[in-house]
Amino acid sequence: MRALITVGSTRFDELIQAVFSSSVLTSLSNKGYTTIVVQCGDSTFPYDYLLAHGERAFKLEKEGVLIECWRFKPSLQTEYEQANLVISHAGSGTIIDVLRMDKALIVVPNPTLLDNHQEELASELEKLGHLRSSTTSSLAATIQEFNPSSLTKFPPFDGSKFRNLLDEEMGFI
Amino acid sequence: MWSLTICALVLLVPLVLIRVHSTPSSSKISGGTKATTQVRKLAVFLGSGGHTSEMLAMISSLDFDKYYPRIYIISEGDTLSERKASALEATKTANSGSISKHADAYTFLVIPRARKVHQSLLTTPSTALLSLMHCFYHVTLASTYHRKTFADVLLLNGPGTCLTLCLAVYLNKFLGLPSPRTVYIESFARVRTLSLSGKLLRSLVDRFIVQWPQLLEDGKRGECRGWLI
Repeated sequence: MRALITVGSTRFDELIQAVFSSSVLTSLSNKGYTTIVVQCGDSTFPYDYLLAHGERAFKLEKEGVLIECWRFKPSLQTEYEQANLVISHAGSGTIIDVLRMDKALIVVPNPTLLDNHQEELASELEKLGHLRSSTTSSLAATIQEFNPSSLTKFPPFDGSKFRNLLDEEMGFI
Repeated sequence: MWSLTICALVLLVPLVLIRVHSTPSSSKISGGTKATTQVRKLAVFLGSGGHTSEMLAMISSLDFDKYYPRIYIISEGDTLSERKASALEATKTANSGSISKHADAYTFLVIPRARKVHQSLLTTPSTALLSLMHCFYHVTLASTYHRKTFADVLLLNGPGTCLTLCLAVYLNKFLGLPSPRTVYIESFARVRTLSLSGKLLRSLVDRFIVQWPQLLEDGKRGECRGWLI
């Protein structure tokens, strides 16, 4: 099976460093995720020298896991479609994109962002059963005990709420 | 010349904030008559990252034949938001009527960021001032010159550069110039606490919308319509 790790449009050094650690890779391998794709953004991590000098991507194998890594792509749509598991920063855009595709999701809130706001959404959605939330230090354990079939389906987009709000405001209805 | 401009703005901003308390909310545009065939000029601020994704998801549900023309306001260097907005426009054009297919149905306006991600709050005032001057130029000076409002409605959902846009709109109101209705939608990501932009803009915008009810437990102004994304 295939896992995608994504940090969104900025950087998340701690998460990428954890992903390349033996403990996390071993957990992934144990659960059957033998191929992983890492979208690392502007993060700094031990293997980032492989992305220097104009190299756009690198591949390596560690702890029985084949890893492909690159910084950015214009769209992650294909990667989401191909993944059996997504591990991501807890950015609301990524969360919504992934949950609307009914993919299993583990989020790791980025504590370095302004007032650690990612943690609120992650914990609330975990309470509602839509995803699992983890810290970087407990990521290996979270992956090990994660059961994707126990998740609750995320509700589909309902555009009428915003449309009605603005149409009322503008005097259309 | 520059120092005079900066001094003038530094004096004007507090005056605007004082005037805010005595400026009643402008009445709805239709004035009691339902608009049937009119269009509304829409300005949308795309704050990059998740802010852009949420905002584009919300406006994707609008009838683009009613909201025309459209201005997408983006921060300097945010080419990703520009691409995403263009992609949405292409999708909508494929599905809708003739007005949206017009060449000038939408445009982009680029303004400098008030604060970059991870930028220290200590250095933010100087970058915010530069951003404000650009907003002032586009929102206030341009509307004076063209004698019509910059937009009928301005949609905002953070982050910081929203504040400079809102202040420019307030300057318009203070000077008695045509101004857009301002609608702020707090991010889906904010469940228990408002964002910094939300806290700062709560009393400045015409409509303050949140997506989680916990945010209104403090009893201050705002409306919750559930998840809008």
